[in-house]
Amino acid sequence: MMTAAEIPLEHVLVLAVLLFLIGLTGVLVRRNVIFLLMSLEIMMNACGLAFVAAGARWADPDGQIMYMLVLSLAAAEVAVGLGLVLQLERRMRHLDIDAASELSG
Amino acid sequence: MTVGDLWVLAPYVIVTAGKLVHLLAVSFWRTPGVSLWTAVAVLVAGVVGLAVEAPEPSEILTGFMVVDGLTTFFNGLALVAALATAVFARTYLAGRSGEAEEFYILLVVATLGAMTMGAANHFAALLLGLEILSVSLYVLIGYPEEGHPPLEAALKYLVLSGVASTTMLFGIALVYMELGTLRFDAIGDPAGWSAITVLGHAMMIAGIAFKLSLAPFHMWTPDVYQGAPAPVTGYLATVSKGAMVIVITRYAVSTDLFSSDSAFNILLVLAVLSMIGGNVLALLQTNIKRLLAYSSIAHVGYLMIALAALARIASPDVAVETVLMYLAAYFAMSLAAFGAVSILSSSEASRDADHIDDLEGLFWRQPLASVVLTVSMLALAGIPLTMGFMAKFYVITTGVEGALWLLVWSLVIGSAIAIYYYLRVVIVMTRPAKEMVYPQNDAASLELTALTALGVTIMVFGIYPTPLITLVRTLLGLA
Repeated sequence: MMTAAEIPLEHVLVLAVLLFLIGLTGVLVRRNVIFLLMSLEIMMNACGLAFVAAGARWADPDGQIMYMLVLSLAAAEVAVGLGLVLQLERRMRHLDIDAASELSG
Repeated sequence: MTVGDLWVLAPYVIVTAGKLVHLLAVSFWRTPGVSLWTAVAVLVAGVVGLAVEAPEPSEILTGFMVVDGLTTFFNGLALVAALATAVFARTYLAGRSGEAEEFYILLVVATLGAMTMGAANHFAALLLGLEILSVSLYVLIGYPEEGHPPLEAALKYLVLSGVASTTMLFGIALVYMELGTLRFDAIGDPAGWSAITVLGHAMMIAGIAFKLSLAPFHMWTPDVYQGAPAPVTGYLATVSKGAMVIVITRYAVSTDLFSSDSAFNILLVLAVLSMIGGNVLALLQTNIKRLLAYSSIAHVGYLMIALAALARIASPDVAVETVLMYLAAYFAMSLAAFGAVSILSSSEASRDADHIDDLEGLFWRQPLASVVLTVSMLALAGIPLTMGFMAKFYVITTGVEGALWLLVWSLVIGSAIAIYYYLRVVIVMTRPAKEMVYPQNDAASLELTALTALGVTIMVFGIYPTPLITLVRTLLGLA
């Protein structure tokens, strides 16, 4: 069985950075609100992974505690986000965030 | 953690317990009145809790939170700002469709989040406080049932603030990976930081700059300020930004962050861009909420001078004092300005009275609101005998002491530009109204009393700031 100590920290860090960048690209490229929320979720999981890896490095529970906080934060954000998506769908009949832009000046 | 520590945490215990009572009260009597007055009672009890003297004062609670003068002063500001927001929201929501009960619940929860940020000495506390505040704000921004702008503003804020939070979190994870601690006071000073630690701090500063809407991370600010309901915009401009200012101040004091040249230079660029960019872009605005958004970008830029001075002057306490004095003035000025806009917008109309033409003839239609709006505009412009002048005087003195000439000159140039657009608002109010562009309304006396109190505060502390200075110095242990 492979334990956390055998996986080099650099590998986890690279994976976390890649996940973060995938999420960020998604937020920048996607225009559908559902996909924006999914991309945000990927970014948060990248942070979570980085915290767990960092906690493993120091053999310290703080990293895992931070991961649980990130997890609950992601859940709360998505709950509110989906609520707003429902409102958007009801009022605009679509989920395109670019079309929902009347504010400018 | 001992029982004695609970005394130190009195404001937090009171607001949290009051919150539960509030939720129960609203589930038994579902009327906006019960919700509003319970919220007001909880917030007032929180203010009273600030004065509780702990029998065994211990400032650091298990390294998680610090309740010192900085915390207490900010908690006072946040609670008073929440009170003002609750009062201004009353008729604003009454004139609109939908239920108003949850608004006040979310407002108190958001304030608890801001208070937690104000005491954060650990990244977990920062994360908790920040997200309690932000998630409540997403809902508050999108609260009105009708009209499209609030929904759009809430979605924009949710997505962009989510990106900023995750960027900051990733930065924190990198710092934790390198230094093995999440406590602010255990991070240590920047000498000898590895490349990853520096990168982590750069990501943290980017996330914080977004929350403070410092240029070039300010893109969301005008849209969200314009779309959000006027009382919420005032709350967003003051409490949400103020909490982050306290966090970065505490962090910079603990770690001496800005003694590192790279961090200092990033701050320098952010501050100069915000001061100049914010003021120049404000010139182009015809919507008063957007105008105030750009003005708030510039004001946070001025505030950054005090942070930059932290590492450059002999006693950092003076810089912290400047931060608190500026925050107090900024809170009073912004709340008065947005309070006036929400009073004018409290009618049956589905939009806010935020176009600059809506203000035409205001001196005759609503003399009191327009006088307070004038006072807040003059204060924001930094005219003497207002709190705004006192705050700017503090910042300039601190900047000169730290020999931050570039920043001080940016402030002077920015303020000169700013006078134009602040005075334009005042001039529009004196113009006779050509036609009634916005429905008439009679503001309720409670709102006008709160607005007048804010206006009087701006003038009184502008003319005689000694009590405020004494309070800040006592809290910081300087007196």
